[in-house]
Amino acid sequence: MLEDVGFVDVQIGPATDTFGGAAGEEKARAYEVYGYAFVARRPG
Amino acid sequence: MADDLMVDPETLRERVRDKYREVAADPHRTFHFHTGRPLAARLGYEQAAVDALPDRAVESFAGVGNPFSIRRLQPGERVVDVGSGAGFDSLIAAGQVGDSGHVVGVDMTPEMLKKSRATAAALGFAHVEFREGLAEQLPVEDGWADAVIANGVINLCADKHAVFEEIRRALRPGGWLQFADIANGRPVPPEALRDIDLWTG
Repeated sequence: MLEDVGFVDVQIGPATDTFGGAAGEEKARAYEVYGYAFVARRPG
Repeated sequence: MADDLMVDPETLRERVRDKYREVAADPHRTFHFHTGRPLAARLGYEQAAVDALPDRAVESFAGVGNPFSIRRLQPGERVVDVGSGAGFDSLIAAGQVGDSGHVVGVDMTPEMLKKSRATAAALGFAHVEFREGLAEQLPVEDGWADAVIANGVINLCADKHAVFEEIRRALRPGGWLQFADIANGRPVPPEALRDIDLWTG
């Protein structure tokens, strides 16, 4: 989707266990939900 | 509502406001996500930068990742924080860009705006301000921002394409979008995607 909008140089960081130990962990595990960092650039 | 959206955007906004109103007012209760300093440590924020902030700036933090982990903001940069909440990421950004930079936090929840403005004032941060607005209608001029950050916000927007288009408008050519958000490794059934209760918890 980022590239569809015109962003370039898209980078995605490693998965983070955002919900581990939280009340929402069970739902997160069910769908393998993790947090990620993203970087993209508007073309110059 | 556009045919390709899974939920009504304004109904979802109301649910999100309700949830984050609770996070602003009562950050120490149990939510389905972590909050505060333990969450910042879990997500890998620089300890010294977090320690430098007062509790009121950190206690309502409810991000899902670290938008500064791949790219650190540069001194002097102009930054928009989409969905700035109680201001945690805006204040971290303010430390990275320094006094020569400027940070505009944008949020739609009045309780979060009140809290973030009070914290920035207490810290004497003149280069940080908080404006009321939506991710789809950012209150900044075309091309104003060197960088746009967000944390756990875009997944709560019904029309993500519209949000990315708006961020692109706010960025200068060559500017950076750096955000954190959740993604699922297993497909979510369509009926669940249409269940608005699942969007916020």
